[in-house]
Amino acid sequence: MHRVRMLAPALAVIVAAALGAGCGLGPGDSSEGEATLTVTRDYGSEKLLDVGRSDPPESETVMRMLDREADIETRYGGGFVQSIEGISGSTDGGRTHDWFFFVNGVESAIGAAETDVLGGDRIWWDHRDWTEAMRVPAVVGSWPEPFLQASAGSDRLPVRVVCAGPDAPCDAAEDALADAGVSAVVTDFVKEAEGTALRMIVGEWHDIRSDQAARLIARGPEASGVFAQAPSDEIELLDEQGQVVRGAQGLLAATRIGEEPPTWIATGTSPGGVLDAVSVLDSDELEDRYAFGISDGFAVPIPAEEPAP
Amino acid sequence: MIAALTYVPRRNPMGRAGVLAASAYLGAFVAVAFGFSHPLVLASDAVAVVIAGLLSGTGRALAASARFAAWLAMLMVATNAIASQRGDSVLVRGPDVPVLGTVDVTAEALAEGGVLALRVAIVIAAFAVFTAAVDPDRVLRLMRPVARRSALTATLVVRLVPLAAADHARIRDAAALRGPAAAPVSRPSLVRRLVAGSLDRAVDAAAALELRGYAGTAPGRARRGPRSPVDAAFWLAAVAIWGLAAACVATGAATYESYPGIEPELEPLGLALVLALPALAAIPHLQGVSRR
Repeated sequence: MHRVRMLAPALAVIVAAALGAGCGLGPGDSSEGEATLTVTRDYGSEKLLDVGRSDPPESETVMRMLDREADIETRYGGGFVQSIEGISGSTDGGRTHDWFFFVNGVESAIGAAETDVLGGDRIWWDHRDWTEAMRVPAVVGSWPEPFLQASAGSDRLPVRVVCAGPDAPCDAAEDALADAGVSAVVTDFVKEAEGTALRMIVGEWHDIRSDQAARLIARGPEASGVFAQAPSDEIELLDEQGQVVRGAQGLLAATRIGEEPPTWIATGTSPGGVLDAVSVLDSDELEDRYAFGISDGFAVPIPAEEPAP
Repeated sequence: MIAALTYVPRRNPMGRAGVLAASAYLGAFVAVAFGFSHPLVLASDAVAVVIAGLLSGTGRALAASARFAAWLAMLMVATNAIASQRGDSVLVRGPDVPVLGTVDVTAEALAEGGVLALRVAIVIAAFAVFTAAVDPDRVLRLMRPVARRSALTATLVVRLVPLAAADHARIRDAAALRGPAAAPVSRPSLVRRLVAGSLDRAVDAAAALELRGYAGTAPGRARRGPRSPVDAAFWLAAVAIWGLAAACVATGAATYESYPGIEPELEPLGLALVLALPALAAIPHLQGVSRR
């Protein structure tokens, strides 16, 4: 009896603390919109699963959504996804493969069990070789995210098209964003204002290479997560092993500096190359790809493969 | 706990059974616990172990293991509910806790914790029955040719741990009998004397073993005791349980998934296993009844 008397206030304190910390019963309220889940392998080259869920509840997480739709195995107390549909993380011949996921085109910094899913979110799991680039902070394959910000509610960031050089590619980028439902402000590269924003830099490589995000791409995949490099005025496309396989006249890629919002770069070695890079935004090929290079007039997904002889 | 689990010779079928037969019989219940996650199979397995324990006259050992397992089960269910963030049916939306992350509680995580706890409880109960009903000396004699040093170590532990417990009780009583005016004996002081006494005894035991030639060549095959007439029934029950369980595993007749939703599937063969387990647990113990 004495124990029960002692327990009652303790339980009351726990319940009060839980309610104060935002706890609740049941799955919680729904957020409006459809969240999509895509599962691919090898940098998006093979699609394994593509499903959606309308109006996900407050308790929906990336792990729950994936668990419901796919056959998975987890490790470390269920917090780490080891295998999806029988494809598991592995080390083979010195190369390491694992599952990674992006939320609205940005690699998640926290685990799947802690990442909430809101209506409008694009969740993308990819099984890839991460020997050359452990971190791929941002990708272009969730277009029009991250610019659309369908799940952001009132916390939307401003979108900027940062223009260096001729107007035509910048106008094309602005039009592509508008067609996707994104209202962007076009600003000059040298006169860009300070402040947090989602940026798409458009311009020839030699004009934009001074930008911090562009400098990351110039240093290669280990720094930027983009399988391209530009040690001089040339742009080189790399394969999964980090080897140069072909030159490029244009590049459409995304990266991220620290925890800042992602920066997209549409660039080229000539005005035509820049325009070609921007034109990929209107293409269906963009879906579930990490980045694109323009080589011999064609859009090439990167990591690139060696051109056929 | 020690007293409840201490082996006591009994005249019932389990007490008269051979070590191998008794091990195979009780091991079958442990194998079922590890081989299946279906709650009905586990519940039936738990009932079977309780029947085996009660008919073996080891009710106290079962009760002691149940008390221990109950706490462990609560801990396992609570831990799994907090640690596992899988499962579709969210019962409680918890806060984001540093290190642990989101702490939602789902029905599936509770169920999975329950399955794990039931499995552990069955294993604990089966080993409690084994400890209380099967002569440890015969077990160790059987193990000697396979793992001589381990068997010797286990033999010593089996004898020295109860002696250390008795020493502890004696020293504590002696300290209490010094009268109310005497300064109380602290726990570290008690432990120090206990360890000193145990080391003395260990040196004596080592000297005795040396004199008896235990450091020399390995002993030959262990003497095999006479085959018990009740062994056949225990072997029969064990083989039936192992066989039925293997058939169920091979055909997937009793499967269970906790995540993402609770999905128990029981086919007729699985149902047969559920019904057979308690019956097969009881059958070997009925031999004495028919003779009486």
